[in-house]
Amino acid sequence: MSTKATTTNPEDALTDARKLRKRALGFALDWAIVYYFLHASMYLYLVFWGSQTIRGWNWYKNDPYTAFFNPLRLPSWGWWLILFGTLGVVVLIRTFGRSLGQRAFGLSLQARSGSVNLVKRCIRILVWPMGVILAPIQLAIPALRHGVFTHGLLHDRISGTSIRHYVHPSGTPYKRFWKTQWGIVAVALLSLTLFLGWIIIDADLGILIGRVDEARNVFLEIVHPDFTHFTTPDPIFYQRAYPQMFSIVNLMLLTVLMALAATILGAAFAFPLSFLGARNLMCQSRIGWWIYSVTRGFFNLFRSIETLIWVIVFAVWIGYGNPFAGVMALVIHTIAALGKLYSEQVEGIDSGPMEAILACGGSKLQVIRYAVIPQIIPSFLAFTLYRWDINVRMATIIALVGGGGIGDLLFHYRRTGDWAQVGAVVIAMVVVVWTLDYISGRVREKIA
Amino acid sequence: MSEPYLIIEGLTKVYERGQVVALKDVSFSVDKGEFLVIIGLSGSGKSTLLRCINRLVEPTAGHIFVNGVDVTTLSSGQMRKMRRKMGMIFQHFNLINRSTVLTNVLSGRLGYTPTWRSLLGLFSRTDREMAFRNLKRVGLEDKAYARADELSGGQQQRVGIARALMQDPDLLLTDEPVSALDPATSHSVMQYLEQMNREDGVTVLASLHFLSLARRYGTRILALKDGEIVFDGLPTEIDEKKFREIYGEEAEEVEVR
Amino acid sequence: MMHSPTDDNYKPPSVITRKGLSETLELIRHRISIGLAPVLLDLGFIGTLWVLITYGFAWIAWKEIHYFLVPDWLFVLGVIEATAIWESFGRSLGQRIVGKRLIAKGLSRPTVSQRIVYYLLFHISVLPIVGLSLARPLHERLSGLTLTPILRGSEKPAPWYRTTSGVFIAVSVAALLITTFAVTIEGGTWERFLKNPSKAGRIFGALLNPTFQFWKDAVFKLFETIYMAIMATLIGVLVAAPLSFFAARNLTRTPVAKLFYMLIRGVLSFFRSIEPIVWAIVFLVWVGPARNPFAGFLALLIHSIADLTKLYAERIESIETGPVEAITATGGNWLSVLRYAVVPQIINPYISFTLYRWDINIRMSTIVGLVGGGGIGQLLLMLLQAQRFSDAAICVYLIALLVWGIDTLSSKLRQYYEHGRPIQKAPAEESA
Repeated sequence: MSTKATTTNPEDALTDARKLRKRALGFALDWAIVYYFLHASMYLYLVFWGSQTIRGWNWYKNDPYTAFFNPLRLPSWGWWLILFGTLGVVVLIRTFGRSLGQRAFGLSLQARSGSVNLVKRCIRILVWPMGVILAPIQLAIPALRHGVFTHGLLHDRISGTSIRHYVHPSGTPYKRFWKTQWGIVAVALLSLTLFLGWIIIDADLGILIGRVDEARNVFLEIVHPDFTHFTTPDPIFYQRAYPQMFSIVNLMLLTVLMALAATILGAAFAFPLSFLGARNLMCQSRIGWWIYSVTRGFFNLFRSIETLIWVIVFAVWIGYGNPFAGVMALVIHTIAALGKLYSEQVEGIDSGPMEAILACGGSKLQVIRYAVIPQIIPSFLAFTLYRWDINVRMATIIALVGGGGIGDLLFHYRRTGDWAQVGAVVIAMVVVVWTLDYISGRVREKIA
Repeated sequence: MSEPYLIIEGLTKVYERGQVVALKDVSFSVDKGEFLVIIGLSGSGKSTLLRCINRLVEPTAGHIFVNGVDVTTLSSGQMRKMRRKMGMIFQHFNLINRSTVLTNVLSGRLGYTPTWRSLLGLFSRTDREMAFRNLKRVGLEDKAYARADELSGGQQQRVGIARALMQDPDLLLTDEPVSALDPATSHSVMQYLEQMNREDGVTVLASLHFLSLARRYGTRILALKDGEIVFDGLPTEIDEKKFREIYGEEAEEVEVR
Repeated sequence: MMHSPTDDNYKPPSVITRKGLSETLELIRHRISIGLAPVLLDLGFIGTLWVLITYGFAWIAWKEIHYFLVPDWLFVLGVIEATAIWESFGRSLGQRIVGKRLIAKGLSRPTVSQRIVYYLLFHISVLPIVGLSLARPLHERLSGLTLTPILRGSEKPAPWYRTTSGVFIAVSVAALLITTFAVTIEGGTWERFLKNPSKAGRIFGALLNPTFQFWKDAVFKLFETIYMAIMATLIGVLVAAPLSFFAARNLTRTPVAKLFYMLIRGVLSFFRSIEPIVWAIVFLVWVGPARNPFAGFLALLIHSIADLTKLYAERIESIETGPVEAITATGGNWLSVLRYAVVPQIINPYISFTLYRWDINIRMSTIVGLVGGGGIGQLLLMLLQAQRFSDAAICVYLIALLVWGIDTLSSKLRQYYEHGRPIQKAPAEESA
């Protein structure tokens, strides 16, 4: 039985495996942060001071990738040094103070009895290597595993401390975050990221100011849009299948209809799939769980591949510039995105009506038709509208990689440097997107 | 007396890998036409017991015989057929809020309707007439096309009763049917249940909170405490002492007039 | 405010005082908007359907583009007349949406002659709009009919195919589907769809056989992409958070502030409607050829600021007024109100929106490179243009991995911030 300590949360016993997992994740987070600081420092050192001292002047400009991965050009033993060094630093910061990793998972170092003093901390650090090496063995042997869950790892036992769930004692004020270890680390992390990011993305405010004159001419052209091809098709596109399409208004309407087609098809397919991807409908049997996992996995995978990339594939398949290629790409992404949204809605319904229909002797399908669907129709419609909105935005630019739509005009005029026409196209896009956004927002308000 | 209609033998239900025991070896039997009232504190297992009978909840151990058939051994298809004859009424009504009252009542007939017809919402004319008759019986025929969530609590529960009536059930399981209603409406709903029991010969199992309602409407009372039966007998047999045993030392009886 | 003559203590506001004047104008504006709502809706529906049918028909029949097939004035006239007829002689979709119907005195159905009068008066009263400004609109008064909210009850609603609105919707849906698919499927698409899988197969085959020659570049570019997104989100938050206080309607008290509010909201709406890729084009021109990730970052930044400010401002507009009143009552100035009443309510939603935006920025940053905005998209573009599909495969995988990872992380964190703790798994059945 675990001993009770004054600062221990009584619910601890229930979360044994989860607690260990949280500790490990917190440790990993701290380690990642420490390594991030180290690597960033090496890189920054290289960028600002190291170019001359490390062999070859400005070698990194010719080999930016090695500079990024191995800024100080360390030999292989250097990496071992880094490994142990960072581990040591992590153990230190976790034992002395509450690190960011501990804070993020709601943990802190607490003593079995009494408070955590310097002696206990030092013991903990000394025994830590042994504890960590023995840990996998202890966990693998079932007889020892329970002991680990209740009493902790070796360094926990010997030092009389453990990293446990932290409950802030009520009545005591919170420490100001800039005075805590994790607060300082968080601020430093943020600043470092901003600084590093500024360098990595090649930012240079000077260029913005310096190039204002050059850019100004282009901008002036853009804001004086040329509407010659607003309703009359541009003859340059005579080679396309339907040259009469290529005026701004016609192409814009086509784009909206493309998005609509994609949304309708996507919703039609996503609708039945969403029931397969809902945990409360599927997970009553083994095979149901598999179907659920596969469906959810499919949704996640296809959602992670951005629409433009799908367009690349379909442009090759169906034809570069063919609007149907754009539609198909949008359909795939829509099915995945709507499927996920729909499934989440289905999972959130009230189970009472489902029980009622089951109790009447209804079959699974009847339950879905009478208990599930009526509850989710408003949110389904809202999500579909929302998706149409997004699809219209996407459809305006998929012509970049051959998806058809008004992007064809946009990117063509950009290539030919006809910025006034670009301005006209952009205005049309803005008007349409904004209007649809507004309408869809109002309708969604009414529905849901 | 012939075989009891409902026989429960050794029913046990355990949750969360042994942590929570909802029902512990419960055994009793019910004759046809009885109005059995189950009383007990919240958490004593009343809902679980009722849901085990029509297997909305799977029993961990034990047997349940309904009209001679062991429902614990039935496949899901056979269980569906069994459920057609078991009506159920819920504490929170469990109506389909966005649908009309008529649709809700008709959904009681789903067990008898082939899937393709039900998916399209094509109930037969006899079903529709039956629905109107049942709505008339519970006094709601003028609300047939109103949305279910536009009704008051008592009216919604009456819709639930009409839905159960559509199944033409032999057994009616009611899970705290009046807990969400005020006293006057409670009596009205209980009277409908009593009517079903007396006129249609339906065996009713009702779990109730108020002993006064149990005494008034039940022909027999079963009391559960922590998943076990602590009393099984006539309503008149419950005195102060028994009452405290069932409900705990600090309980006081509340009259529902 | 007593708006209609049927209210008990209706007294028309006196026009003489200044307050009375503004009240009267407000009243008139309100009545006009109520009266116009179904009419505008119907005009929109009929007009759109007409254009849709014409467009579809012209395309299918002649592969030409026509929107009206009749002169403009005839189109306008036709739509108006159709609306008037629909509203007078049936129950139009617009009327259904606002939940009203035409009835005669004593809840009876209007007769045909009454409807004809209504129809004729419609032109005089509704079209000049003025007739709608009376407490009971002119055309209603003179024809004896009123538009009133419907009550539901024991009558069986007519099946959809027997209502004008139902038929209208059905026809619209059919026209929409036919037109949409006719227009988006160009000639020859089906043949290519069925015959060309081999070409697509080549790409899929290449995707499934990736070569790792460019993996170092890919990972470097991936970090560049991640940093583009992080920077755009962080700096976007820094700008959007204070800006949102000026863009929230319930925080504007002075007329100057109101003007500012409209200006900011307007400009940001405009910026939000321009996709990041288009912004990238703009910034590429400005920044020049050598600093592509910077252009991509700037594009994401502008869009992020616009989107985040809108989300933040909307959240501010929906806070509870209780704490605001409390702090004001204790004598706090505007800043104190902000700090103690507004800010604590919005911190968690702000963080949630920021995470959401970060997710979107990561997605956008992967593709902004396709137009030249740096990041892994740029590498992908170069490899694709060189037709090196197997090499490009690793970019695709990395993008998918990144997006999926950040998506999962972002959802988990957002659950935490929206609900205060991670969502528990669905609890086991209750034991009652």
